[in-house]
Amino acid sequence: MIKPAYILSFVLFFPLLLIQTTIIPLVAIDTIIPDLIIIILVYYSITQGQIYGTVLGFIYGFLFDIITGSLLGSTMISKTIAGFTAGYFSSENKRDQYLISYNFALIVLLASLIESTISAFFSSVSLNTNIFILFIQYALFPALYTSSIALLGMIFYPKRRLF
Amino acid sequence: MIRFISSAWEKFKEYIVLVVLIIISLILLSQNNSQGIQKVRAVAFGSFATVTSVFSDIFNISNLKKENEELRRTNAEIMLQLSKLRESAIVNDDLKGLLALKDSTDYPLIIASIISKSLSKSQGTVTLNVGKSDGVKTGMPVITDKGIAGVIYSVSANYSIARTLNNVDLNLTVKCERTRENAVMKWNGDRLVMINVPKTFGLKKGDRVVTSEISSIVPVPIPVGIVAEVGNVEMGIFNEVTVKPFVDFQNVENVFVLGLVKDKEIDDIQFNFLNKR
Repeated sequence: MIKPAYILSFVLFFPLLLIQTTIIPLVAIDTIIPDLIIIILVYYSITQGQIYGTVLGFIYGFLFDIITGSLLGSTMISKTIAGFTAGYFSSENKRDQYLISYNFALIVLLASLIESTISAFFSSVSLNTNIFILFIQYALFPALYTSSIALLGMIFYPKRRLF
Repeated sequence: MIRFISSAWEKFKEYIVLVVLIIISLILLSQNNSQGIQKVRAVAFGSFATVTSVFSDIFNISNLKKENEELRRTNAEIMLQLSKLRESAIVNDDLKGLLALKDSTDYPLIIASIISKSLSKSQGTVTLNVGKSDGVKTGMPVITDKGIAGVIYSVSANYSIARTLNNVDLNLTVKCERTRENAVMKWNGDRLVMINVPKTFGLKKGDRVVTSEISSIVPVPIPVGIVAEVGNVEMGIFNEVTVKPFVDFQNVENVFVLGLVKDKEIDDIQFNFLNKR
């Protein structure tokens, strides 16, 4: 029997991608945008476990690449590893602690940093550009923006889990 | 053996799943240009774009007033330019007639709206609400009133995906309008640059850059941007020239697809020429 949370996590991807590609560009700072998909991926990795987070990252990455026209496989790898990393925080005993706003935002920051860094690697950027600056632009700024959105979201997160 | 596998799975199942999924991703990464993947991609984004187009219309209404004002101003500017160009066109037609030159500047424009954007730092793409049924084909340039915005990459029945200039996978041959010197322009992940520009080229800051006739993707001159900086690489014989694009990809909402793909006849003649050598 498939858990309702599994179905919901899959279905939830589509409205999120819709928002990601239509509304989120309106709140872009320069070209830095938050990644709503990574927030939900981290949430499910913590609540459903590491293997589930890894597989979900793979599915999200595949759908993202195929729908948006990105290089197929690049987001798949980065989101798979991000889901795997976030899954380390899925310990039964500490799960509720990790879902507290600040902790959750930090986990999102970590997963987002890893995801953006791997994506940058697959973008075959010019070697003439300063790697440090690229890391800040590609990974750190989007990750900080994403974790800020996650922090805002978790402030309104109900004590009793919805999904 | 089975016990060993079972014990290994129990101990390392998270890692095994991760490695298997990464291997699958890497295999797919190498299959990006295969026909099968392109078909799946067309169906997937075509279906999703149907929903996105409704959603994006709602959000675009708020921007219409601002865009109308801009269009009115652009119209006025174009009207002034048009009267000037009309005079030149008459002279041009006469001269072409005298030289029996073929007119190659009449291209159909397909009006399109951007229904979603993937504002990636390195793989910028936009989804347009026009597709095969509107005559859009892979390789057609996407332009705005300011200049080139991208090139069509994938097409479904009613929608298409275009790579913007902010995409590392899009390389264009461009030329300096003043000096007529050609170079390849690409997005390096941070800025738009003309690469491998010989130091002997006379490009200067402020020069206008347009697409080159020798481009295999956009073989008509369409404005691209202006030279923002001419790098001064100490080693070697080549420079890197930074180009500031005319089109602001973040704010663009309506575009035109230029109904033009590279002439098959030109391809054939070049292919035959190479074969005979």
